[in-house]
Amino acid sequence: MAFCLSGFRSFPKLWKNKPYFELDPGHSSLCFFSPGYCAIRSQQRWFSLKTMSPQNNKAMDLLIANTRFLKKGDKDHKKQVSSDSSYLFAAGAAKKRSLLTNLQSKDHALLKERSSIQLPTKPLNSEEWDRLKEDFEGKANFEDWISSQMTQCHASIDVAKSLLAWVAAKNNGIVSYNLLVKYLYLCVIHKQTSEVIDVYEIMKSRYKRLESSGYGLLIRGLIHSDRWREALLLLEDMKKVMIPSKKNYSDCIQGALLHQDVDTAWNLYQELLGHNIIPMMETLKAFFDFGKGIKDDHYSNKLLDILLYLRNNQLYPGESFVHSIKTWFESMPGKQWKGQFTTIQESGQCLGCGKTLESIHLSPEEYEYLKGKIMKDVIDGGDQYRKTTPQELKRFQEFVNSCPPFDIVIDGLNVGKMYTKARDSQVLLNVVSQLAKQNLQLLVLGRKHMLTRNARWRKDEMEMIQKQASCFFADNISEDDPFLLYATLNSGNHCKFITNDLMRDHKACLPDVKTQHLFFKWQQGHQLAIINRFPGSKITFQSILRYDTVVQTTGDSWHIPYDEDLVERYSYEVPTKWLCLQRKT
Amino acid sequence: MNVSVTCLRPFARFLVPFTLQRRKRNLYPIILQRYMCSKIPAVPYPNKENSSPPAQLELDGWKTTMKSSLQEESVSTVSNKDEDSFAATRELIEMWRLLGKEVPEHITEEELKTVMECPSKASKKKYLKYLSIKEKLKKARQMKKEVKAIAREEAKKAKLLETTEEKQQNFLFLRLWDRNMNIAMDWKGAQAMQFGQPLVFDMAYDNCMNSKEMRNTVSQVLESEGWNRRNVDPFHIYFCNLKIDSAYHRELVKCYKQKWDKLLLTATEKSYADLFPKDSIVYLTADSPNVMTTFKHDKVYVIGSLVDKNMKPGLSLAKAKQQGLATQRLPLDKYLQWDIGTKNLTLDQMIRILLCLKNTGDWQEALRFVPKRKHSGYLEVSQYSQDFVNKLKKTKTFSSYPQNSLNVGKQKK
Repeated sequence: MAFCLSGFRSFPKLWKNKPYFELDPGHSSLCFFSPGYCAIRSQQRWFSLKTMSPQNNKAMDLLIANTRFLKKGDKDHKKQVSSDSSYLFAAGAAKKRSLLTNLQSKDHALLKERSSIQLPTKPLNSEEWDRLKEDFEGKANFEDWISSQMTQCHASIDVAKSLLAWVAAKNNGIVSYNLLVKYLYLCVIHKQTSEVIDVYEIMKSRYKRLESSGYGLLIRGLIHSDRWREALLLLEDMKKVMIPSKKNYSDCIQGALLHQDVDTAWNLYQELLGHNIIPMMETLKAFFDFGKGIKDDHYSNKLLDILLYLRNNQLYPGESFVHSIKTWFESMPGKQWKGQFTTIQESGQCLGCGKTLESIHLSPEEYEYLKGKIMKDVIDGGDQYRKTTPQELKRFQEFVNSCPPFDIVIDGLNVGKMYTKARDSQVLLNVVSQLAKQNLQLLVLGRKHMLTRNARWRKDEMEMIQKQASCFFADNISEDDPFLLYATLNSGNHCKFITNDLMRDHKACLPDVKTQHLFFKWQQGHQLAIINRFPGSKITFQSILRYDTVVQTTGDSWHIPYDEDLVERYSYEVPTKWLCLQRKT
Repeated sequence: MNVSVTCLRPFARFLVPFTLQRRKRNLYPIILQRYMCSKIPAVPYPNKENSSPPAQLELDGWKTTMKSSLQEESVSTVSNKDEDSFAATRELIEMWRLLGKEVPEHITEEELKTVMECPSKASKKKYLKYLSIKEKLKKARQMKKEVKAIAREEAKKAKLLETTEEKQQNFLFLRLWDRNMNIAMDWKGAQAMQFGQPLVFDMAYDNCMNSKEMRNTVSQVLESEGWNRRNVDPFHIYFCNLKIDSAYHRELVKCYKQKWDKLLLTATEKSYADLFPKDSIVYLTADSPNVMTTFKHDKVYVIGSLVDKNMKPGLSLAKAKQQGLATQRLPLDKYLQWDIGTKNLTLDQMIRILLCLKNTGDWQEALRFVPKRKHSGYLEVSQYSQDFVNKLKKTKTFSSYPQNSLNVGKQKK
């Protein structure tokens, strides 16, 4: 026993992951959260693992292979929601879920074929370079290879310079463009502005035009020098063939701000937005950082516009950016802003100031718009036959209009398939009857095959379900999710839907980003995800957010959600941390 | 390459006087040798920019030689914006090539136009990479050709040296095999036109595809037709919904050239629904819920000729649903241990499978044509049925529809 527990640390994967021991997912993840239980569980497991020693890699691999095989079968575990994260769409929730349910794939870090060559740490003369070249055994061109290695390891520029000198000596004083670009990269990394300018002169005299990476590096290098205006010329040059990247714009804007040329910076920013590029957070942060000392209403209005831009595009600043915003607000003379980092209560009240945040609910116009778009793009999508048939659509619409508005719409198949061990119809019946006790108008959506008798769908249970809820069964080859969305939207704002599906594919059918944001907002406010881990227990749902996670203001207060540096946020999640700014009156 | 000087603008000083590289073989090496002394004291990291190491002189030698290339006082001004962006794109590609990116060495005006029309940098690079791969293949073929030609020449010479006396030989046939084969195939094709089983290619998808997919589709159609021609008992191929002067039609005519009108198949603008009775048509699509168990000789099979690279699932199924046709998919899961890849097969694989089924009726034999990379071997049919029985046992209802108990897993993604 003692041995097992000592080795316990070295096998975190083994006891984290359920499939090894073929327990149902509930067990393993539960032991995550209840320490007492966990200890007992893990000890039992360690009995079964006793024979394994850390060296026994083969057995490990076998186990892993087995779990891979098992994993193929039980897809629905992926949809299980960890009971730890308080909220389905909270930042980091998906990461947690994946840690719970997936194997952390072993890092088979393939050691790169390292050549035996040690990168030189000091400048070499030509004989030494020659010798190094002889030692090099690879298919690549030696000069290319060694310079790539240098850029990766950020070698000192003197070493790179000695390489270039050697190359030039061999080729009549000519250094090829790609070596120059790599050298330029090193100069920019090491902030050697005078070298950058030297290379810039060389490139100017040798080449008529450069390409994107050369331009990008020159711009990044030149903005710190007195000749920063030439970076703008280079940007103009780039525009002739392609739209410059946000990084290029970002560099130019930062250069302009460094040299106190505010108008140029704003013009570039407008141009960037004109190209429909989403600016880098770094760029926006630079404006805020620059604005710290400025007493200029015009400038501060522009900064507030940036905040509104973040709001309209559902962008969230990062941690350092949000600090800049806070400092700028607090540095405003005579306004007495006070900022604090906080979280929001479930009721939607800010813990810092007690104000209630904007509601998650859509305005009536937005609601109607979204309903129309779901109908037009998700269900119809230009060809009604792809997800359903016109006859079925008609049948569905007549059915929905003949019923009173629903309170809850249930995705029968998704709910039924929550647990692998339990029978589908029984799980569904359990959920439906528990909700029916609360006197809610229910709608269960499913497919016709649920009605044909088989092991997973028992007829008597289906009949019980039909007594307690209205049901609509789509054809077996139709999609049921679009109907679910439409039925929920059609019933009105109070109606919620139950499914653990994140609906990402349907969100992707929507035509533009704005509509997708609307859909996501509506989804956050109306989706109930079941978090039970065992069939038969009383169902509990993920709490629904009451407030909208978006940059917002009431004039004398700002609330700004932000991303923490150490939390990995997926695209369908929202941050949980906020900056609350108040004006002292 | 230099754009000629046409007019001087007041802002000419903004346009940096770039000049072209001139190969100058003058005294560079000598200058350099003077600079490059063999002893370089090691000063790994200069702390300040100004504190230049003693080695600075030797290290910076190359800069002087690079800069001292001939300065042509040419102020290139913009005469025509369109032309200028053309030249700029050309130069951009050239610079990318110098950087070692995958771009073609030579590019035609037309291709250059396509590059300029690409909306994003990524798409530009993608297209250029495609062109560069094409160029490399062409070069490799050219090389092979030359090598072969040389080998043939040598073989000829050797033969000339060998053959000293003419030997009388008796032959039964003249060497006209290819021609005879073609004629025989045409006879068979004509026979198929009269009595063969119809096989329809549905050409109504030209508006769902971009030009690349279209090219791929046409080449697959060509290949399918070729496989059919060589078969013992060919299908009578129909190209239905093929609109005259549609992109499809143009591509096909471009590929077949004058052979197009002599092809032994039926190309028509009509739909297959007009040509054949509805209940005999079976639309083959991978999204179909029904599995094909046997090849029926009295059915008309329809293959949707589209290459779908940007994931528009259910296109052909939707079409069949709309016209109320029967649909079927190949029983790939039943016979193969599927590994990776989509279950949509290419058109030529489809027709070879169908031909094989038509002639032998053996699924194992027919599914040889499924690419090997997509599956890890054949399933023993006995094993499949064993699984099937196990499933039924689990369900404890032998009377239930096997279809459903099987499809449970497939119902929900």
